[in-house]
Amino acid sequence: MSLETTLQQIYDLPISASIRENVNAFPLIESLHVLAITLVFGTILIVDLRLVGVASHRRSADRLIRELLPYTWVAFALAVISGVLMFVSNAPAYAANLEFQLKLVAIALAGVNMAIFHSTAHRRIADWDTDLPPPAAARVSGFLSLALWTVVIVLGRWIGFTLDVLF
Amino acid sequence: MFIQSFGEWLYDTPISTTFRDITWVIPAVQSIHILAIAVVIGSALVSELRLAGLIATDEAPGNVVRRYLPWIWRALIVLLASGTLLIVAEPARTLGNTIFWVKMALVLGAFVLTLAFRRPLLAAQAGDAATPAKPIAFLLLAVWVVVIFCGRFIAYT
Repeated sequence: MSLETTLQQIYDLPISASIRENVNAFPLIESLHVLAITLVFGTILIVDLRLVGVASHRRSADRLIRELLPYTWVAFALAVISGVLMFVSNAPAYAANLEFQLKLVAIALAGVNMAIFHSTAHRRIADWDTDLPPPAAARVSGFLSLALWTVVIVLGRWIGFTLDVLF
Repeated sequence: MFIQSFGEWLYDTPISTTFRDITWVIPAVQSIHILAIAVVIGSALVSELRLAGLIATDEAPGNVVRRYLPWIWRALIVLLASGTLLIVAEPARTLGNTIFWVKMALVLGAFVLTLAFRRPLLAAQAGDAATPAKPIAFLLLAVWVVVIFCGRFIAYT
């Protein structure tokens, strides 16, 4: 099958082999991944709680979003890069892992939730910028984001216990 | 060694055996542990970047600290509780591990630094300058980052 061939080709890449062979590589990449994830969740948590209706360090929801989202994005990029490096080191095992597949689905759903928020409630943010609690649409987005990112973290930890190849 | 015999005793206790036998306990507690770390990191990031003068400079430092410091304490309690459960489940992995003790020393250090330099800001009035802000802000963030690395490396040493 072509997918299997592709996964095996990824596994055979020099970078994949060097991550497998260097004993410190995987723990270092994994530590970076945990750091990145805690930064993503930690910053998005503040924004999501504000959307749910918990006061933040500033009243304006729009300013809070613009203030913290750049940090979330940089951390997310770091999480993706470190995640890809872990994936390539054992591509066939990750691809076959149910928790890994579900985690990707949960990340995609978190992205869809964010896109919906930005194209609906966030468009009208001037109307509710300083309202506490914000309108229902924003609260639902915030709650869904919290739930989905929590699921992402839990599934991520489960991969470490269910992956067929352990280091 | 006292620690080693204590670890062996703990390993044989029914509660430790139960935690290991129920396969979801350790990953579930570790997930809670990571979520609580995220609360510390998010709270510390915003507080320290504010105190370094890099974000939210229109808000008083005292207000920002007042908003996030209680969350750091709450998350630390969750971290101590979940961390204790993880020690009970796998004593040898932690108690006999140098990285674990380095991590504990760093957590204690971050706790003391936060108490000494951040807690007083709760009483600060708007407009009070928080000095010297930058070195301690970056030091605290760096310590939390090293704590995360130590935490992951416990699994590999």
